[in-house]
Amino acid sequence: MTQRISKYQRFKMMNPVIQFFKFIYLSIKIMVVVAGGHGGTRTNN
Amino acid sequence: MAKIVILGAGISGHVAAAHLRRKLPKEHKVVVVSPNSNYQWIPSNIWVGIGRMKSEKILFPLAPLYKKKGIDFKQAKAISFFPEGDKTETKPYILSEYVVGDNKGKQEKVTYDYLINATGPKLNFEATEGLIPGENKTYSVCTYTHADHAWDGLKSLIHEMKQGKKAKILIGTGHAKSTCQGAAFEYILNVEQELRKHNVRDMAEVTWISNEFKLGDFGMDGMLLSYGGMTMKSHEMIEMIFEDRDIKWVLGAGVNKIEDGIAHYENLEGEYKTETYDFAMLIPAFSGHGFKAFDKNQNDITEKLFKGFMIVDADYTAKPYEEWSVKDWPETYQNPSYKNIFAPGIAFAPPHAISKPRKSKNGTDISPAPPRTGMPSGITAKLVADNIIDSIKNGKESLDHKGSLGNMGAACIASAGYGMTQGSGVSITTYPIVPDYEKYPKTQGRQLGKTFGEIGLAGHWLKLALHYAFIYKAKMRPFWWLIPE
Repeated sequence: MTQRISKYQRFKMMNPVIQFFKFIYLSIKIMVVVAGGHGGTRTNN
Repeated sequence: MAKIVILGAGISGHVAAAHLRRKLPKEHKVVVVSPNSNYQWIPSNIWVGIGRMKSEKILFPLAPLYKKKGIDFKQAKAISFFPEGDKTETKPYILSEYVVGDNKGKQEKVTYDYLINATGPKLNFEATEGLIPGENKTYSVCTYTHADHAWDGLKSLIHEMKQGKKAKILIGTGHAKSTCQGAAFEYILNVEQELRKHNVRDMAEVTWISNEFKLGDFGMDGMLLSYGGMTMKSHEMIEMIFEDRDIKWVLGAGVNKIEDGIAHYENLEGEYKTETYDFAMLIPAFSGHGFKAFDKNQNDITEKLFKGFMIVDADYTAKPYEEWSVKDWPETYQNPSYKNIFAPGIAFAPPHAISKPRKSKNGTDISPAPPRTGMPSGITAKLVADNIIDSIKNGKESLDHKGSLGNMGAACIASAGYGMTQGSGVSITTYPIVPDYEKYPKTQGRQLGKTFGEIGLAGHWLKLALHYAFIYKAKMRPFWWLIPE
């Protein structure tokens, strides 16, 4: 059965204060993923 | 002195030109050949298509910037490739044709020492009968002009709904082999939110139609991701969002014909069905540009350069899905026949799809092509530029910079509604883009900590921040290179 978004989850998703900290957290986390380097796959890089 | 010619001034071409110019001494020439006069930040077309952003905000003219930075710009389209030159021209060249001004229609041989083909995809609307942006009530958000038209169409429909009209809205993919489901996903959520803002949501039935086997496939075979302390499959996450927004979905649908307000499609069961609509935004199939290539004796050598898109250092051996490997994907984007030609971004021919290929019971291929997004386009363009710079400086071929999609992360910040306090976004990162089942066998080929999803207002702020950051970067303002691709 499909999971539903609860009222509490929605509150957290749209609360500007919580989301401000989430914004900082996500910015750092995304930076780690996408700027964390890249390389080949055929040899050890 | 080396001359580097770049075909295309989209994300990939522009990134390559900017890095080459910044890092190479002025004695080397950087030339951009593009039929487009403007640079456009394509990810923000979604907001143009709902009337929340003017198209002028996502574009700027290239000629003044290139003049200021010392990059030659020819507003021309490439016609054919001559990688060995010809009987009268010893250097390799591109035959191009000017598209504006006094030189319009004039052809020129643009010679090069290195060529970067960053021509991106052709939006192949012709592959689906009747799929023409702005006609048959179908629209597109693939370019800013298309997005402007889409908003005109949506605005009129909203006006009619305010007068009491009930409407059906259909958004998704317009061909059995389309990709870029992410853009359609963003658009459907933004449209749904706009309907609510205009108090007409209850007048509309909103439906997602897609060639995906499951929701959340996105042409990447779906993913297992971390979400709020849980591990969730991407289809569960997208189902949760669609249920929440009361969006219906039709999957495994290969749209093959559009009539005024009617989309004809075949599903994986082999049934031929239709969906009616009052407004549709359907992503077309992508294809190569159909360039031809010739050797110095004018013999056709197109198959050495192109396989639809440009051939690069990928393993193109045909093999079944079970034998696909992350090692099939290119690392340097160099053409194996002509080592001074590269094709980063969307211009290279992928070795195969990422999603499991599926056929209908009638034998029609219905599954997404590999997605082509901005972030890998920028990264691959930069590494190609860096390899060319090293090769010029070292006086010999250097291919130290590598970036396979199987060893690269990407972020998809999908807008789910515009607004500083009421907006929303679905932030998904994935690492690697192409699943590596050898390295991550238990987590669907991806690293869980780096493959995650978040829903909320922060996602909207993030997408808006990226909009301004990347336009700043594209305008090559001070310290632009500090912003990663």
